[in-house]
Amino acid sequence: MTDTDQIPDKALEKEPNAFAQMMRMLWHDKVALVAVIFLIIVAFCAIFGPWLLDAAATKQNLRGRNSPPFDMAKGWLFVLGGDALGRPLFARIIVAASNTIMVATGAVLCSMVIGSTLGLIAGYTKTRASQIILRLADVIMSFPSLLLAVIVLYMLSPSVTNIIIVLAITRIPIYLRTTRAEVLEIRERMFVQAARVMGASDMRIIFRHILPVVFPTLLTIATLDFAFVMLAESALSFLGIGIQPPEITWGLMVSQGRPYLTNAWWLSFWPGLAIILTTLSLNLVSNWMRIALDPVQRWRLEIKGKKQ
Amino acid sequence: MRKLSVGLLGASLAMTMMSPALAEDTDVTIVLSEELDLIDPCMASQSNIGRVVLQNISETMTELDGSGGGLMPRLAESWETVDDDTWRFSLRKGVVFSDGTSFGAEDVAHSLKRVVAEGLVCEIGAKYFGGSTITTEIIDDHTIEITSDPAQPIMPLQLSGLTIVPSETPMEYTREPIGTGPYVLSEWNVGQNVILTRRDDYWGETPAVTKATYVFRSDDSVRAAMVATGEADFAPKISELDATNPATDFAYPNSETVYLRLDTLTAPLDDVRVRQAMNLAIDREAFIGTIIPAEAILATAIVPPSTIGWNADLKVPAYDVEKARALLAEAKADGVPVDAEITLIGRTSNFANVTEVMEALLAMYQDAGFNMKLEMYEVAEWLDFYSQPFAEDRGPQVIEAMHDNAKGDPVFSMYFKYASEGLQSALRDPAVDKMIADATAATGDDRTSKWSDLFAYLHDEITADVQLFHMVGFSRVSERLDFTPTIATNSEIQLSQIGFK
Amino acid sequence: MRHFIGKRAFASALSLIGLIVLVFFLSRLTGDPTALFLPLDASLESRERFRELHGLNDPIIVQFGHYVWDVLNLDFGDSIRKARPALEVVLSAFQWTLILALTTVFLVTVAAIIIGSLAAFYAGGVFDRIATFLSLIGASAPDFWIAIVAIVLFSVNLGWLPTSGTGTIWHWVMPIAVLFIRPFGLALQVVRGSMITALSSAYVKTARAKGVKASPIIFVHALRNALLPVITVIGDLAAGMLNGAVVVETIFGFPGVGKLMIDSILQRDFTVVLAAIMVSAMAIFLMNLLIDIAYSVLDPRIRY
Repeated sequence: MTDTDQIPDKALEKEPNAFAQMMRMLWHDKVALVAVIFLIIVAFCAIFGPWLLDAAATKQNLRGRNSPPFDMAKGWLFVLGGDALGRPLFARIIVAASNTIMVATGAVLCSMVIGSTLGLIAGYTKTRASQIILRLADVIMSFPSLLLAVIVLYMLSPSVTNIIIVLAITRIPIYLRTTRAEVLEIRERMFVQAARVMGASDMRIIFRHILPVVFPTLLTIATLDFAFVMLAESALSFLGIGIQPPEITWGLMVSQGRPYLTNAWWLSFWPGLAIILTTLSLNLVSNWMRIALDPVQRWRLEIKGKKQ
Repeated sequence: MRKLSVGLLGASLAMTMMSPALAEDTDVTIVLSEELDLIDPCMASQSNIGRVVLQNISETMTELDGSGGGLMPRLAESWETVDDDTWRFSLRKGVVFSDGTSFGAEDVAHSLKRVVAEGLVCEIGAKYFGGSTITTEIIDDHTIEITSDPAQPIMPLQLSGLTIVPSETPMEYTREPIGTGPYVLSEWNVGQNVILTRRDDYWGETPAVTKATYVFRSDDSVRAAMVATGEADFAPKISELDATNPATDFAYPNSETVYLRLDTLTAPLDDVRVRQAMNLAIDREAFIGTIIPAEAILATAIVPPSTIGWNADLKVPAYDVEKARALLAEAKADGVPVDAEITLIGRTSNFANVTEVMEALLAMYQDAGFNMKLEMYEVAEWLDFYSQPFAEDRGPQVIEAMHDNAKGDPVFSMYFKYASEGLQSALRDPAVDKMIADATAATGDDRTSKWSDLFAYLHDEITADVQLFHMVGFSRVSERLDFTPTIATNSEIQLSQIGFK
Repeated sequence: MRHFIGKRAFASALSLIGLIVLVFFLSRLTGDPTALFLPLDASLESRERFRELHGLNDPIIVQFGHYVWDVLNLDFGDSIRKARPALEVVLSAFQWTLILALTTVFLVTVAAIIIGSLAAFYAGGVFDRIATFLSLIGASAPDFWIAIVAIVLFSVNLGWLPTSGTGTIWHWVMPIAVLFIRPFGLALQVVRGSMITALSSAYVKTARAKGVKASPIIFVHALRNALLPVITVIGDLAAGMLNGAVVVETIFGFPGVGKLMIDSILQRDFTVVLAAIMVSAMAIFLMNLLIDIAYSVLDPRIRY
């Protein structure tokens, strides 16, 4: 097996105006462009949503509940319909973006950083520490997340931080084991061996040579984990541990709309769609970045650009 | 060619597997919401166990008529008082248990002993006979005297909850319940189903249903779908949202009452004006037909209107935010800390839409000027707030709870919810304690009026809590069955009452 | 290799003991089952009696001692709620979960590798876009949507499949299909990503230049390298399923270990929780061992 993998990201640094080049590539890949725009909108809602629409999103109207979508008679806020308490779903989805993104980003980032760091150690070193880390991952994988949540609820008071902790802990093993599996293999590759012979420090080998190869897989998992975490969070709210009404998240909206699925589908459909679209966009952007940042792959985007 | 025929064989095999074994048209399938943990008769007061066991496998001495006919004889033919604390029951003759032994006074005595036995935690014992000492004297094979200390004027009613088991039943949970009822437990495939079949030697009329299969699905819409597709014949509990077919779907009062318990021991809820304001600040009517079913009734007491002593004169507080604000201001002027943050505590999945109801209540209270926050907890945590002992530094709490009393007498509710020693009572009022004790000991019309007075006192004088709704349940009955759910359906499903069209 | 397995078995046994000790003590911090088991209006005396009966009044260290002694005698305790041996309760549920998980994982693996490889080979093409799009939607959609819509469509409206329950092979179709969707989306993405990297690496390009036909390129050269992260991710998904597929079990009335675990945790039926964790942990440990062995089979350079 000839092994001549290259060290990525070098070509990009040489480019006089890397940002402009990225933008140009993005402009040519319309799907990625739409995804990026959608994510910017979500981020905007997460930051400014509660400030702009909080009043509208909490205004109840019991006698005008479950109003169907696409009926503009009650104002543009009701374009996606009303919920079981007559609140406009559109406004609620925008306001909920804030909590949702905070919890999901927090949990995914924490688990990814902790998991992949431990995975790097476990894969790169052959010491006892790596064995301990792996058995710890086994233990976490077998520990029911609900039990963890109940324990946290009893020991600490309910708060957003706690829900992030619970979700992050349960998601650590997947990053840990995936990182380690890849490191086990990359460690043996020619270029890593060569770097080691040339006297590169462990840190340098890990961060300059190994991490860039592992990162794309981690990113793929992380983007899909966003959806998982957003939905799992609502199950923990049931216990009283996480976001409590009248505070709201997309996951909570989805689960509150569940009984209405066959009568008023819009209650859980729109927030669910928000989750799907966010996940989809994250994934598309990460796929695109993976190609755009990889000099070996970049021709795909550039060729397409020239064609158009 | 050979391959093809094997394939066809496989396909036809699969086809026969797909169609269920040919069922007789007098068999029924009932889909319940929860898997049974136990099928011991002494646990039959738990609604999911009761729906299988009560009056099907195990019968009781007396029976409360679900359609409002009062107390009827079942295994006891008649009863009378001997003195204040002793009752004499004459038992039905010619009754045999499903194991072939005959039923007599010995079995009644054993059943009473078993539900309060040490080493066996029986819910019936805790629920109906807790706090009193029961002794029995067997007069002859079919006559028994039962004595209660303290005296229990409604003992025949209490005995409508006692399942009778043969005197050989061991003092541990049984997995093979034996009873005098028209059905026997023939199969229990844990996780999948429970099957009852009809007995030939039942003392009463032979029921129409020959075999009943109980299956368990926790999802509301799946239960409704099963009756719609014909996989099941009866779903005692479906969601209001799925109850859209008038031909099969029925609403029935389920004897549950939703209320807010106010912590009268903590300021500012210890002030009657604040409690009145809490009653005036909510628009109860707005809930009905929206997030609470249209068939539900506004409540003025913790027990449903079919209960004796229920006071028809009590008026549901009118929705009046202005007055609520005025009362709060008045209390504030007198130094009551009305600005202290009140915690509104709800129980997740307590009933359909509970979160929405709590959110709406919160919004109404905040609108009236209450400083309030909402917390929703799963049952285990919620119980810590609802039951004594209460935490010392809890702050003012308002707790949502749903209470079930299908027995027709307030005695099963009032002590626990309102007496100073009551486990879920946040009230310390000697007058209430005395009224409860007096009513509990009274009989006949005197009992009725004493309960009535208590309800009036709690509601109008001291405004002990915020009563909300008497709830309804929804059920779906296949069109081939002749059966109408009643208030009793919440705790039992008598197969003998099911007919076929 | 034998040495490796021996060492691993020892380490796993230690972690299992650690796990059980951890669960035993932590779960008891979450209150006791008395209030949940007895009716609300049960008197303080009957509560006390219940605690006494189940040894809940003993100091926790004494309770632990009893538990260890019983386990050493192969007695895993009785379920408080079900009055049956906890291990029996767990094993009867676990057999259902095992069949469900194994079938689904097998289908996910096969489908993800085939479709993922094709998507990577035609990266950016129509097939790739459609496969990515649909699998991502499936993977991020709430699973109960799919389950309930499937019941309404295939059972109520079309009458093709039973709504729920067990009995015939047709009862398995919808649970497996619903359980399949989410892991499939993730596995497909990982296969696709790894394969794109593998396909663009120099040795595959060389093989292509030499005129080796399309399918051998994918399946012999590239796949081998791409498989490591794939089996790791599928392993994690399988572990999730061995802990129970809660949504599928609750909606389809499937008697698996997931709902049993949740109910037991919420009802503080500690013996069942412990037995369930023990059984599923053993399955997960074994699976991770098999995955580690698979690494060195796939890539002989990897040694432990």
